[in-house]
Amino acid sequence: MSRAPAAVTWRAAVVFAALAALPAAPFMSKYYLLLAFDALVFGAIAMSLDLLMGYTGLVSFGHAAFYGLGAYAAAVLLERGIVSVWACLGFALVVVGLYALIVAYFATGRRGIYFALLTLIFAEVVYTFFRYTQTFGGSDGIQGLPEAVVFPGVAIDTPARKYYLVLGYLAVAFVVCRVVVRSHFGKVLVAIRENEDRARFLGYNVQRYKMGVCMISALLTGAGGALYAMRAAYATPDLMLWTESGEFIISVMIGGLGTLVGPIIGGAFFTILRDKVSSYVDWYFIVIGLVLIVIVLFMPRGIVSLRSVLRSRPWRQTT
Amino acid sequence: MIFSRRLHRLRYETSERARLDYLVVVLLPQLLHGLVFGAALGLLALGLTVIFGLLGVMNFAHGELYMLGAYAGITFIALTHSFWVAMLLAPIAVGVVGAVTEMATLRPIYRREPLYGLILTFGLALVFREGARQIWGGDMRRIAAPVTGSTPVLGMTYPNYRLFLLAAASVLLVAIWLFFTKTRAGVVVRAAVQDAEMLDALGVNVPRVFTLTFAGSAALAALAGLLLAPVFTVYPQMGVEMILLAFIVVILGGMGSMGGSVVAAFVIGIAQSLLTLWMNPQRVAIAIFGIMILVLIVRPRGFFGREGVLE
Repeated sequence: MSRAPAAVTWRAAVVFAALAALPAAPFMSKYYLLLAFDALVFGAIAMSLDLLMGYTGLVSFGHAAFYGLGAYAAAVLLERGIVSVWACLGFALVVVGLYALIVAYFATGRRGIYFALLTLIFAEVVYTFFRYTQTFGGSDGIQGLPEAVVFPGVAIDTPARKYYLVLGYLAVAFVVCRVVVRSHFGKVLVAIRENEDRARFLGYNVQRYKMGVCMISALLTGAGGALYAMRAAYATPDLMLWTESGEFIISVMIGGLGTLVGPIIGGAFFTILRDKVSSYVDWYFIVIGLVLIVIVLFMPRGIVSLRSVLRSRPWRQTT
Repeated sequence: MIFSRRLHRLRYETSERARLDYLVVVLLPQLLHGLVFGAALGLLALGLTVIFGLLGVMNFAHGELYMLGAYAGITFIALTHSFWVAMLLAPIAVGVVGAVTEMATLRPIYRREPLYGLILTFGLALVFREGARQIWGGDMRRIAAPVTGSTPVLGMTYPNYRLFLLAAASVLLVAIWLFFTKTRAGVVVRAAVQDAEMLDALGVNVPRVFTLTFAGSAALAALAGLLLAPVFTVYPQMGVEMILLAFIVVILGGMGSMGGSVVAAFVIGIAQSLLTLWMNPQRVAIAIFGIMILVLIVRPRGFFGREGVLE
């Protein structure tokens, strides 16, 4: 995979084509289409978080704030009758961007645990603000939003249309992340992860790089939040809860740090696991917690490392 | 003329008295509340900061150990009908849970990046929280205070249980300080914080030190949970709110600095209870976050953090 010169390989194109054909499958009911929507949004956000966690070595415990702010920004416009998808997305990007700029400025000055905790605390401030501000509906959030409109006359009103909207977002996010990772910028990020001091001594303005990757990751996450508000027709403060940030992190870990594709699979896997397990038992958090513990202990490189495990099996080598 | 002057003096006197009343009736209890809360928060933050210094792991499950302490207390009180026996048994039980957890999950990843520890403890927190909900149910529970009544203190009356809480937490904090400065075991733990590899080379069983310290920190958290339970309510999510405050305390005090944690715990405890006089609780939460962010901007390594420890 690393030998492929282009940002988008044929393999990725095939996967996207398969995903695009998914709504035509006979088993895809409305319910499953919306579940697929959630899975892809979660996957895309996990991928953008992977830019920070996997490539730069920074764990953000505050991505829920970017996600929730994006959702609220879109919800505020939709509530006021501005139903254009592009206006909502644009506004969400501006709002999330401004907030991310502040967080990134303060958080990237610190390393390791400090970064994790600072992003967490900033997110808690945002959560507390929205949770208790009646202008934004308090703990109920903003409910009952109208359907968004892509072009005049084309509303995102069916699950299939919502699905294609999120598929487009995933494709854009994937290309952005691939371009970032393959660029010189991305190489510097890896250098920072491996040895921040050495990167600094080589003359790189480390904080500027870290701020840059934070902004990219936050904006992609915010766009995901805006789309989620359009799909669910609400935005609640629960989207910003720090456990939500934890779920993004779980998705990245399940998928595999520093692989981009892994976190997409991890996010989708996590969403479907949560949905399936919670429909059978009410203690699904135990299942999810145990999955996370098992992954950290025995598969630190995530699901995608399974492939190389399978490949290195003796019976494969002898053939 | 005379009348107005007298009126003025009267007004002055009443305002003086009002000010004194305000001090005794409003400010002083709140200040004491802050001290009580700060002392309990200190117990929680101490365990967190020692584990951080030792394993490099910010224990996300610490709040859940605090919660388990309160629930274990409920169970032991139901069994033995004594708060005091529960106060002894609950920390031991949670300490055992902590030791087993440490050996089973944290020990295998000592040599990996701290990031994995952070994420692992997040998973543990999920399991503990949901486990508690399954065992004890999700609704709010209360523990009756073992000490009732109130005592006149400095011109006001203050609940006896809170005074006991303050005394107990203070005694514990002093005991912990004595443990770390006067006993061989305490010195070994501090040495492990400094340089675990060197300690290993000197023939100390470092993994056992880690496990026992983790158990001790879990027991402290459990004790804090049980001690605060009669003041607050007991529910599965109770650790989540406390752990955020405890994180702030540890950051403010300087990561890995034990003295700093205790000082910061009192600062946050008092700041929180005084601020509630003028703001609603949500604003207070935001103000506390604001204090932390400000301190970090002015003094990035916290009150007593050593430079470079955590860079």
